[in-house]
Amino acid sequence: MKKRFLPIVLLLTSLFTATAQQVAFEEYDLDNGLHVILHRDNTAPLVTTAVMYHVGSKDENPERTGFAHFFEHLLFEGTENIDRGQWFKIVTANGGRNNANTTQDRTYYYEVFPSNNLELGLWMESERMLHPVINQIGVDTQNEVVKEEKRMRMDNQPYGQFATALFANLFEKHPYRWPIIGAMEHLDAATLDEFLAFNEKFYVPNNAVLVVAGDIETDKTKKMIEDYFGPIPRGKDITRKSFMESPLTETKKARFEDPNIQIPAILTAYRTPSMKEREAYALDMVSSILSDGKSSRLYKKLVDEKKKAMEIGAFNYSLEDYGAYIIYALPLGGTPLDDLVAEIDEEVGRLQNELISERDYEKLQNQFENKFVNANSSIEGIANSLARYYMLYGNTRLINEEIDIYRSITREEIRDVAKKYLNPNQRLLLEYVPREDGDNR
Amino acid sequence: MKKFIFTLFFICAIATQAQIDRSRQPQPGPAPEIYLGTPNTFELENGLKVIVVENHKLPRVSYTLAIDNPPFTEGTKAGVSSLTGSMLGKGSIHLDKDTFNEEVDYMGASMVFGSGSAHASGLAKYAERILQLMADAALYPDFKEDEFRKEKDLLLEGLKADEKSVTATAQRVEAALAYGKGSPQGEFITKETVNNVSLQDIKNFYGNYFVPENAYLVVVGDVKFADIRRQAEKYFKAWKKSAPPVVVFPDPSDAQYTQINLVNMPNAVQSEIAVENLVNLKMSDPDYFPAMLANKILGGGAEARLFLNLREDKGYTYGAYSRIGADIKTTSRFRASASVRNEVTDSAVVAFLSEIDRITTEKVSTQELVVAKADYVGNFVMALEEPETIARYALLTETQKLPEDFYQTYLEKINAVTGDQVLVAAKKYFKGNNARIVVTGKAGDIAKNLEKVEYKGKKVPVFYFDKYANPAKKPEEKAIAADVTLKSVLDKYIQVIGGEEKLHSVKSIFSKATGAIQGMTLEIVAKNTADGKVVSETFMMGTTLSKQVFNGETGYMVQQGQRKEMEGEMLTSAKENAYPFPELKLRNKEGVTLEGIEEVDGRDAYVVKNGKTRLYFDIGSGLKISRVSTTEIKGQPLTQTFKFGDYRDVEGVKIPFKTTFDTGTGMQMELTTTEVKFNEGVTDADFE
Repeated sequence: MKKRFLPIVLLLTSLFTATAQQVAFEEYDLDNGLHVILHRDNTAPLVTTAVMYHVGSKDENPERTGFAHFFEHLLFEGTENIDRGQWFKIVTANGGRNNANTTQDRTYYYEVFPSNNLELGLWMESERMLHPVINQIGVDTQNEVVKEEKRMRMDNQPYGQFATALFANLFEKHPYRWPIIGAMEHLDAATLDEFLAFNEKFYVPNNAVLVVAGDIETDKTKKMIEDYFGPIPRGKDITRKSFMESPLTETKKARFEDPNIQIPAILTAYRTPSMKEREAYALDMVSSILSDGKSSRLYKKLVDEKKKAMEIGAFNYSLEDYGAYIIYALPLGGTPLDDLVAEIDEEVGRLQNELISERDYEKLQNQFENKFVNANSSIEGIANSLARYYMLYGNTRLINEEIDIYRSITREEIRDVAKKYLNPNQRLLLEYVPREDGDNR
Repeated sequence: MKKFIFTLFFICAIATQAQIDRSRQPQPGPAPEIYLGTPNTFELENGLKVIVVENHKLPRVSYTLAIDNPPFTEGTKAGVSSLTGSMLGKGSIHLDKDTFNEEVDYMGASMVFGSGSAHASGLAKYAERILQLMADAALYPDFKEDEFRKEKDLLLEGLKADEKSVTATAQRVEAALAYGKGSPQGEFITKETVNNVSLQDIKNFYGNYFVPENAYLVVVGDVKFADIRRQAEKYFKAWKKSAPPVVVFPDPSDAQYTQINLVNMPNAVQSEIAVENLVNLKMSDPDYFPAMLANKILGGGAEARLFLNLREDKGYTYGAYSRIGADIKTTSRFRASASVRNEVTDSAVVAFLSEIDRITTEKVSTQELVVAKADYVGNFVMALEEPETIARYALLTETQKLPEDFYQTYLEKINAVTGDQVLVAAKKYFKGNNARIVVTGKAGDIAKNLEKVEYKGKKVPVFYFDKYANPAKKPEEKAIAADVTLKSVLDKYIQVIGGEEKLHSVKSIFSKATGAIQGMTLEIVAKNTADGKVVSETFMMGTTLSKQVFNGETGYMVQQGQRKEMEGEMLTSAKENAYPFPELKLRNKEGVTLEGIEEVDGRDAYVVKNGKTRLYFDIGSGLKISRVSTTEIKGQPLTQTFKFGDYRDVEGVKIPFKTTFDTGTGMQMELTTTEVKFNEGVTDADFE
């Protein structure tokens, strides 16, 4: 008798969530440990083939920082069957596009092709996993490219070094303390053998997830995946160290000078829990209240009404092991940085002591629903989300269910999380100021 | 039995392996079929046509209102359409601006308006309210005098910021010369025309042109056709049926022969080059696709010939591209362009012309054609993912009068194009013999070589234009008289500001100046000594913002309470400029040269070059009127300019009381000197 109730309960649940879309997917493991996720959507004749490897800058040897990102470059050099310099040409000559990126936690590679080139995409990614060519020519070439990238994106970019300065000060033990791009002297000192060892350790099927999404026929695709990825040998199991930070108990002050800016910035940063925690979701909502949109609290007060700040923002930089909750502001018309901090503290204090209004809460729900809906608007975006939810959160279903977590967070929880994590004695105060040399006035 | 299964498994495994040969690149499968849904359409009595693409994949909706009016000119009131656009979307006669914005934010929606358009998007659950708000703001705008003034000031501010912009000037002149200054596509906005616009003009423009005759409402998303039909009727019914004024304009004509049109911008550090000609091309023309592919191969991206030649091979520029337009209502342009370094301007022009020649005389290679087609196919297919694409295609099918199956058969048409067709199209649309080569740059550096450029064995004539596309005289190259030398220029300057003896009697200067930056008042106090020490302190509202101290050998600076030692270029610069009259020393410095004569704000001035700094001395008065220094930021040259004026006599020495500082990043500061004292108010303790 009891059994009969179950479907009805299920039905009710599905009715409740019927407002949001459902991203249908299927997932399984190959014998070599490669996790595979398929998402079929025939709306448009295109397909994304993507591989995420569970290796980021936090997995690096402190004496060899920058390796994970370096690999993101190195692994476009070529494979045993794809000649050096041919990777990008093959992609464009077949109407596709491709890219890759690296974070502290993982490295992600993908191609988007018209769907008749699915096999090409799988071939390319399996080539990269099976036998990339890693030699001195490639290492030397990419060493220059990475240095140029660092100059362009960080050294010469106004405010380009804020993340570096912030993480270096916010974390003391955890590898999040060094920048993703790493230290150039580490890369210069690295030997070819060290690169080969890194590849052997991390670029293995049992440390990766393959996502194929788009206009595919499921059975045919599974067969092709087995053909191309099945023969790749499993690697050794990876053991990861864990790093615990001791809590901050008083404000830590730091200063960074950027030669590319004219207007200083003040940054406050608080250490927060892993992105997997419910509290991290609540902190995301705190950011929206503070700085999302023209009617958000900090924007309205400091940019619009008091005209004390040119720009202001709050966001939760969520990572696998920890997060950094960051509020930053650029002063307008010489407003002292201390004044901005006081204004920010006042707003954070309001959140800690008063519940947000019902209408603000509804607005917040609308904003998150809007983000959620738009996050799944492209196949490329869905592929990335599927890989991320599987690899970093350990729950692929979050692609459909994450919105329910946001929906379930109460006004009280928002207040409490602000109270628990956003206190002055738990934070870093970073003055990010212009450097005045090179001035020839 | 077990063994048999094992064997079977083994065979299977082998068979599986044998099916792929990973040493060979997989070939593409059959071309994918494209699924283009057919949108539903209907028309309101007032003429508004509604196109609905239902797409239930995501619970969201987007609305686009597009008014496809025939071309018009704004004449002496150019700017009226742009201002009308920026006045829309600020609430309505029913809802004030703040209430309107708050509600849009609450729904998590977004809404933007133009002079003949509106766009809104958001969650499907608010679909009707979003449409209602958009219609309300579009049809019942509240044109208020204070908002009008604000938007007008913003527009004027933007024009001012663009005044010295080489790229903005280039774009303006290129269009004006190609289409004619009085034409819909060639006219442009100036300070004068904006000042001619009144609030009543905005109301008139809105009344004349924001009308339903040529209007389309495109709806895409998780909505039902029947609902949209009902809602469109409800919210747009009151839009009064009306048609915009129609004016017939004469067709523009191409340059009669290949020519260079040079626009002199003395501040240019790069030249903007555009090789252009007119094109009469419609999307429904049989050679539309060959023309698009010809352009793709010539200059359509980083794999195209222009990029490979001008950037990869010769390193003249960061990027060189070409574009070709197609429109049923107007003439369009073919335009190949790049920003290049001054010294290679003529070579880059030659390279452009030779690439245009090559693609109009030789058939493109099979490989180039294959890659160009793949790129087109890829882009087309990728765009299909967005439901907006289907709506856009439906709109273009209507407005460009395309055959019904234009997009359904798009890929076939691309793939059917032959190399011969590409050659024919290139010949027809890329007109080397009628090319107008508009170069916007520093004539002093580039004119001489441009006048030597040849095309097909003949010299290409150079015609000069001003920043507003009016014919201009060739900027005269002013020769320095034989008796003028570096020493005579500096001597004269020293003479006119007081004479060597007098200047040497000044052992120290104390000066105060005030200025405003971003609305805040600054005060600068500077002290210089004849033995080469300087201290300068900047105050804002009584507190020190920054301080620089140089004691003749070493120096430091303090910014927001932090001290930093001077080193490198900064130290060198401090050393040179510490003296009250640095020119006294400049006469004997090695490497300082007299460069020539250039205009500064309409006055001729001798140019003295000292490293990366250039000093300008008025030929007539002998006074120093400007100092320009160049540095590099992010690989791009950054030029900082000081201008000096309002020289006044202080105890027998002429001192500039007005200094304008241009940071080179769009910020300007004007400083007024308020106090100058010689040989008092300065002590050694100041430089510690």
